[in-house]
Amino acid sequence: MRHFLVMMLFATLASIVFGAMAKDTPYERLLYGAKVFAEFMVIGLVLSWILYFIP
Amino acid sequence: MVKTERMQAEEVESAPGSAWLTGAAAWFIPGLGHLLLKRWYRAVLMGGAVWLCFVIGLQMGGHLFDLNAAEGSSQLLQVPPMIANLGTGLLYIVSWLLGSGFADDPQQAARATYEYGNTFLLIAGLLNYLNMLDAFDIAAGRKP
Repeated sequence: MRHFLVMMLFATLASIVFGAMAKDTPYERLLYGAKVFAEFMVIGLVLSWILYFIP
Repeated sequence: MVKTERMQAEEVESAPGSAWLTGAAAWFIPGLGHLLLKRWYRAVLMGGAVWLCFVIGLQMGGHLFDLNAAEGSSQLLQVPPMIANLGTGLLYIVSWLLGSGFADDPQQAARATYEYGNTFLLIAGLLNYLNMLDAFDIAAGRKP
C-alpha cells in the first residue's frame, strides 16, 4: 500500500508541473494534468504486474 | 513572405537580458521565476511541487549526488545524477553546505524508502529545469 501511495504522490507532483506548463487554457491544463497523472498510474501498475511475473 | 518569416525568426531568437535573469532566478529558487513574472498560480503550483518533491525525497532518506564517488564507483557515473540534483538550485547548495543528504551511510541506504527518496530528489531537480525553461519562455515573450 505504501508503494502505491508513494507512486501516486510522485505522479501527482510530476503531473502538476507538466499540466501547469502545457496547453493554453486552464481547462486544457487541468485535462492534460489529469491525463498525465492517469498515464503515470496505469503504466506504473502495468509495469509492476509485468515485473511481478518475471523471476 | 520569406523576409517576414526571417524577421519573425530573428524576433523569436533574441531573448532580452531580463529573460535570462528570470530563468536564473527560477533555477536558483524554485518558483521565484514565476513570482517575478507575477504568475502567482504557476509559482505556487510548479515551485511548490519542486519544493515538496525535494523535502519528501530528503525525508525518505534519499541521497544527493556530488563528484565524490563511493569506493569502487566511477566519478564519471556521478555526473548525470549530480546534474539532475543541481536543478534544485539553492536547495541543493544549502544541503551541500549543511552536509544533509550527501553522506554515504549504509544504514540510510538500507531504509525501505531510500530509492524512492533518490528518485524524488532527482525528479525535483529535473522538474525545476522545466520550471526554469517555462519562466524563461514567458519572460522572453515566447509563451502567453
